[in-house]
Amino acid sequence: MRALLVVSHPSATSYTKAMAAAARRGLERGGHDVEELDLYTMGFQPAMTKAERDAYHGVDPMVDPAVQLSAALVKRADVLVFVYPTWWGGLPAMLKGWLEKTMVPGVAFVFDAENKVRPGLQTVQRIVGISSYGSKRPYVMLVNDNGRRVLLRALRLNTGWRTRRTWLPFYGIDTSTEDERIAFLDRVERAMAAL
Amino acid sequence: MRTLVVYCHPDAASFTSAVRDSALAALRSAGHDVRFTDLYEDEFDPVLSEAEHVNHLADPSTKPAIARYVDDLRWCRSLVLIYPTWWAGQPAMLKGWIDRVWMHGVAWELAAGSARLRPLLRNVRSITVVTTHGSSKWVNALEGEVGKRTVTRVLRSMCSRRCRTRWIALYGIDRSTDAQRQRFLARITRRLGR
Repeated sequence: MRALLVVSHPSATSYTKAMAAAARRGLERGGHDVEELDLYTMGFQPAMTKAERDAYHGVDPMVDPAVQLSAALVKRADVLVFVYPTWWGGLPAMLKGWLEKTMVPGVAFVFDAENKVRPGLQTVQRIVGISSYGSKRPYVMLVNDNGRRVLLRALRLNTGWRTRRTWLPFYGIDTSTEDERIAFLDRVERAMAAL
Repeated sequence: MRTLVVYCHPDAASFTSAVRDSALAALRSAGHDVRFTDLYEDEFDPVLSEAEHVNHLADPSTKPAIARYVDDLRWCRSLVLIYPTWWAGQPAMLKGWIDRVWMHGVAWELAAGSARLRPLLRNVRSITVVTTHGSSKWVNALEGEVGKRTVTRVLRSMCSRRCRTRWIALYGIDRSTDAQRQRFLARITRRLGR
């Protein structure tokens, strides 16, 4: 299968980058083709501009070349893998903006004759989220795990009915031990190899 | 009451700009002392940089680029957020304002040896959201009310213990009629004008 890794973290030495590398190793070990969008390294501009908003409902909603590249990779991906740190319970602005700008009409969905949204990501067989959380699991559950819900529910509504979901959370990173962090990277690699 | 309005939409001719106008007029007529921030007008950069990430525990005074936003947040007793809901939640621009401005030393602090964040925005007694959703209320419920819970559970936890939250939303705007949109503006005038 073809997997698209979408990675969002400002620092090259971050644990998020280590999670992304582990995911890549696992996917390659499992015989999958891997493509990667490292949003910070690309200098992706997450805020939707006036020009992009104006074009949104038109024939060609993609103005930014980085978005055109992203959409082309999404369209040929069988698996979407998101790797990011959870900030304020959800996606970093960088990744949220990538979704807003890439998952536009004609890519993620189409509007039907009654202006209802219809799914467009029919080729995506699985959505995977890999995220670190500062908080422990009970707090994350209490505040609703908003990032997970954007990816596994809101985005999932735009795929085919049989699309599967995988969530790999690392809770409580702020108080974690080196052994726990290493063990989680191993878990990520194994989970991705076994897709 | 000292009220900070944070507005987020790229298009000056959008329905959200009409929402903003109704909200500001209602707040001012009710006698509130209003500070207004337009993140797009300011060309706010929503990207938390590597330097900010590395120095995330540094004192807020070492980050002069966002000093005004910090000052506004510490000043207000009431916070009003006006934005369109995109992909179930706050637009990246507004999420970036949260990621960058609600930082250590402003919104929270971590006492030595503690794993619990201590809230610092005790001055904020109410948060009001005025937003529009393309999808129906039913679809939003299915998705898990991401935008609402980011405000009522996550942001609120850094504010006053007695902080109240209000949610003023127009669902299904993609398929709404002009009459429905006008009624929504009237609702904003009514609810914010008292």
